[in-house]
Amino acid sequence: MSDLKEISSRDPACRPGPLRSFAAMLRDAWLAFLDARILWLLLAAIVVLFAVALSARVEPQPGGRRYLALAARALSADVAGIDITKDSLADVAGRLDGSLSWIAKAEPVPPATDDGPATTWAVTLARNVVPLVGRLATSTDIENRFGQIPDGRLWTVSEIRETTTGMAAAMGSQTWDMTVAPGPDLLILWPHRFSLFGDSLELTRPEGAPLGLEVFILQKLLANGIGGTILLLVSVVVTAAFVPTMLRKGTLELLLVRPLARWQLIAFTYVAALLFVAGLLGLLILATWLVTGLLTGLWSPGILLALPTLLLFFAMLLSVSVFTGVVTRSAVAAMLVTVASWAVLFIVGLLHMQVVASRIREEKPRPVSVADALRPQSQPVRREQPAAARMPFHTTTVAGVVEAVYAVLPHTEDLDTIVDRQLMRDFAVGGRLRQLMESPDFNWVRGVGLALAHAAAFLIAACVLFSRRDP
Amino acid sequence: MEHVVSIQSLEKHYGPLRALGGVSLDVERATVFGLLGQNGAGKTTLVKILLGMLVPTSGSARLLGRPVGSAAARREVGYLPEDHRLPEYHTGPSLLDVYGGLQGLPRQERRNRAAELLDMLGLAGREKLRIRGYSKGMKQRLGLAQALLHRPSVLFLDEPTDGVDPVGRKQIRDLLLAERARGVTIFINSHLLGEVEQVCDRVAILKQGQLALIGTVPEVVGEKATWLVAFDRPVPDDHRWSAARLTPGGAEGLWRLHLDSADGIDRFQEEARGRGFLLRHLERERGTLEETYLALADAGGPSS
Repeated sequence: MSDLKEISSRDPACRPGPLRSFAAMLRDAWLAFLDARILWLLLAAIVVLFAVALSARVEPQPGGRRYLALAARALSADVAGIDITKDSLADVAGRLDGSLSWIAKAEPVPPATDDGPATTWAVTLARNVVPLVGRLATSTDIENRFGQIPDGRLWTVSEIRETTTGMAAAMGSQTWDMTVAPGPDLLILWPHRFSLFGDSLELTRPEGAPLGLEVFILQKLLANGIGGTILLLVSVVVTAAFVPTMLRKGTLELLLVRPLARWQLIAFTYVAALLFVAGLLGLLILATWLVTGLLTGLWSPGILLALPTLLLFFAMLLSVSVFTGVVTRSAVAAMLVTVASWAVLFIVGLLHMQVVASRIREEKPRPVSVADALRPQSQPVRREQPAAARMPFHTTTVAGVVEAVYAVLPHTEDLDTIVDRQLMRDFAVGGRLRQLMESPDFNWVRGVGLALAHAAAFLIAACVLFSRRDP
Repeated sequence: MEHVVSIQSLEKHYGPLRALGGVSLDVERATVFGLLGQNGAGKTTLVKILLGMLVPTSGSARLLGRPVGSAAARREVGYLPEDHRLPEYHTGPSLLDVYGGLQGLPRQERRNRAAELLDMLGLAGREKLRIRGYSKGMKQRLGLAQALLHRPSVLFLDEPTDGVDPVGRKQIRDLLLAERARGVTIFINSHLLGEVEQVCDRVAILKQGQLALIGTVPEVVGEKATWLVAFDRPVPDDHRWSAARLTPGGAEGLWRLHLDSADGIDRFQEEARGRGFLLRHLERERGTLEETYLALADAGGPSS
């Protein structure tokens, strides 16, 4: 028997404040969520996938001399402030200072050390100045600029001693003996081999790929691929039943008799569903960040931005699902309409991206990037030249229609771009995709604003409709 | 007398269909009120208006002195709908916890109250069983538990014993009578007329959206022209009575008395005394609710 005073519905203690009601709806939604078997299957699959990812081997490959050579080449131009997503080869050429630098000799310190991303090097740097164009550099110039590239700092010079003789200086030739240590951004660009199941499944070329690029792809695959697609799809399926189940005859009456407003039933259910999906996405994205960090030692937190953006995208879908659920009271209809609206947003977004890419191709030549610079000579950079006879996509009627439709729909591509831009900056990923991502056609403020407006509009419509309809 | 439910000229139309056509009635505190009627008579519509789920086309209704549908009124109401569907992913305690939370009960109170009700309704020991594993009777008991959870002042119960076994029905009847003794007003919709007769203080019969009959059970069922009588000694089979006719009354020594005229009962008592019989029992027979209900159903208009 309880020691507590008996409380009846008339007692002041028995007041259904919004928080208490919301906590009750949250508990109800939590149990409904846990009841979905498909969710457990998905979670089990994700755990297995992460276990596989954790078992991956990420091994650095030799690359010190190549990166030292790159740093030496970069001395020939003032690369400070170059934007690799926008500036072209011509832009870089305009910054050339009339000199040519190269590595005359490079040995690990101490000598027997492996060639790896943590190795310090004893370097002899040689520099020739073109008469009348260039000027002689000081040791301080070299110390400041050696290893500096547009994406960050590859190397830092810890000791430097100029060994130029007077005669050589007169002819424009300079040499330095330097001790060069890895800079803060060297690891991101260092080539690593990535393999699964021991060495049985190689996912990179034998010479490896830049570690940042590998992390970028892995994080996109785990967070955006699994989180943004599979997990959200399962969440759409599970949450599509929430409102129709609540509104079915015999269940609805048990809720309507409670002392809370009808709109609160819808809004609380919506927020509760959103919170659970936020929890799931949060776990997945946190796990992605931890797994890639543990595997590679790169802990840039950009991927954590995927949580708010994916959640905002889901908030939009959920509002459509709730609205359809209120109108039709059918879980199947809510699910189908939501998935269909997702498909429309995806296709229109994809086509819009093609329009933007077509416009960029026409506007600028292909940009230079560190990734391009590191590409082996046997694989020359492919230059995209629009065929003279082919009409650029962005000038076609189809593109016009796509742009018109895109203008009135939520811009989900804007949301993706928020994460992609950050990851590409964090991991020094260049190339055409980055140029596309950095395009002013993608505006995250507009993307967030439209998504919020869209979600609010459908949710408010659902609440108003539900409040006015007889059960 | 304090009116817990007060309805004036209530009408509800669904397009051209008139579900309620000017119903007026009052229900006093601490009574069990039975609302009867055929399917489509307007019972559920009336209850849903009182609970604020439907808006009446015209007329007015107040619950506990407050406008129906107000949060204050709903706070003091417990409701068990007919054919209720409890979310099957819950267990009994978790469902009561959710509904208790929506009702505003503090956490400890709703846990204690849930345990008390589950025990009282014979669901103790099944706390871990999900509702999808419940029998119909168990679901009905749990439905009743959620209606009683917050100790409401008014209970609206639609077929409260539907699917419950006879022992369970007795438990529920006792529970309702105990609630009435606590001062709770109980509004029952049921087709089980025998049960309504057993527990209801007053009944109303709706027909085609209008009130056909209302009153206490004896008032509604009315009296018959027959009496039940028992004598102090056996009556010979060939005995003839001038003022009445006797037929077996269904039990040993009990006779049913059929009278020829309105003053026949006095003439019969005089005749019995004259023949040396003493009357051990004399009682006028009443109709049953079922007879009244069926007679009303057969009749043409709502008030005939």
